[in-house]
Amino acid sequence: MSRILVVEDEQHIAEGLRFNLEAEGHEVTVVTDGEQTLASILDNHQSFDVVVLDVMLPGRDGFAVASALRSAGQFVPILMLTARGRPDDVLRGFEAGADDYLPKPFELAILIARINGLLRRRRWNETPFDSAHGKHPAGAPATRDVYSFRDRTLDFTAMEVQARGKSYRLTQMECDLLRYLVTHAGQPVSRGALLENVWGLHEETDTRAIDNFIVRLRKYLEDRPDSPRFLQTVRGVGYKFVPDGK
Amino acid sequence: MTRRQKAIAFFVALCVLLVAGAISLNIGWIVITAERARLRVLVFGIITFGLIIAGLIVYTVFLVLEIRRNEEHDTFINAVTHELKTPIASIRLYLETLQSRTLNDDQRRGFYDVMLADTERLHRTVDHVLKAGMTSQKPKVIARAPVDMSALARECVELALARHHLQSDAIVLESHDEGPLMVRGDAEELRTVVTNLLDNAVKYSADVVRVTVAVAAPSPDAVWVRVHDRGVGIPRKQLKRIFRRFYRVQVRGFKQVKGTGLGLYIVRSIARAHGGRVFAQSEGEGRGATFTLELPRLVA
Repeated sequence: MSRILVVEDEQHIAEGLRFNLEAEGHEVTVVTDGEQTLASILDNHQSFDVVVLDVMLPGRDGFAVASALRSAGQFVPILMLTARGRPDDVLRGFEAGADDYLPKPFELAILIARINGLLRRRRWNETPFDSAHGKHPAGAPATRDVYSFRDRTLDFTAMEVQARGKSYRLTQMECDLLRYLVTHAGQPVSRGALLENVWGLHEETDTRAIDNFIVRLRKYLEDRPDSPRFLQTVRGVGYKFVPDGK
Repeated sequence: MTRRQKAIAFFVALCVLLVAGAISLNIGWIVITAERARLRVLVFGIITFGLIIAGLIVYTVFLVLEIRRNEEHDTFINAVTHELKTPIASIRLYLETLQSRTLNDDQRRGFYDVMLADTERLHRTVDHVLKAGMTSQKPKVIARAPVDMSALARECVELALARHHLQSDAIVLESHDEGPLMVRGDAEELRTVVTNLLDNAVKYSADVVRVTVAVAAPSPDAVWVRVHDRGVGIPRKQLKRIFRRFYRVQVRGFKQVKGTGLGLYIVRSIARAHGGRVFAQSEGEGRGATFTLELPRLVA
């Protein structure tokens, strides 16, 4: 049984979600605004396995709540739910730290599938890796997706970066972006290609949104984020991952 | 500071600079031509610079107004998107639940009620948008028939109590004058006015809803319908603005109430079409508000 926090001020939708998620065997808590969310997670230290977060909330909106949680070091998976489904809003959600995004009106089956996806990923991360048998016990993938370069380790399964003696948790989006850059190591990758291949966004979008993610990734990986060696800017094109840092 | 506020600040600053430049040129012109004592050239110069300055100011004022209108329009689109998509999302969620899960009769009935309420909400939003669209085009010819405002107000209060699931003492109707208070107009439109005012009074009440409605004749040729709430109130500066299309009241420390920003605009348009007016009074933030609809009385 998983604990799910539903943050939704529209009573009908909140109750509908509660009914369905409980029917799926989860334990559901409903709160109606951002302050209550932060209070229950950060102040009362309640732990949840997934947060379903509406964007248009009274007071602090969903974007603000997600960034507040992330900057407080809370990495509970967040599924954002909103009536605003334009690419700019989607990107803003991911920038704020959401792991997944679903526009309203949504399909119930899809919502449940996405929540299960987030739960599955969380279970993989929490289960200790059983090196003797070379696999996770709970149906997790047999091989770990790990990439190392220059004393830095990127663990795409656990969504973690180990660099410069520290360890950083990645959000799903940071993880996907980094993986894409790494698989194209040494090649310049355009912002448009990143948007299309990492986020699946085809429409005209403000491609600079990518830059904020790169800034964050550089903070994890680079010794000096303002003069990057590994995540280099290719002027007029986009970015390039250079493993040997030259 | 949002992007639009920055744009406004930029254009205002640009205007001030250009006007300052024009004024100094004007002074220079006066000094130079006054020395040569040529009156006609002097007057011509002063008028020309005056026109340039006036033009600059008018241009900036219109530009700023246009930027503001644009902003209100964006807020409106966002609000309407939300107001339309939320009930649809809810109805869909419940339909899919009905379709995919085994439910008992009580649950089923409960779900039907929720969907009906959402349909009603959707209908109200669509109605508001359509009405606002119609009133902004041209003053339409309204069907005029004698309407008893006391009876109409009572009807609206009952409907509002039922719709917002309130106890009967939450909205109290006070009638000061005996007998019917008649006006000439379209009953359906006038019902929209009173309903919108009541909905606002309920929406903007903080935790406890205490609304009084009074129907009175302040003078022999006028009828008043007053809706008084003890809610969040309206800052003095916004008392007039709230009737503008798309305008949403902003009260510090109070969470934004959901809506389209069209309700009071519709109220004002209908009041005007009936030869009446509507105005708001408030003691300020947190101290409630009173809306008065004034219509010409139909004397038998």
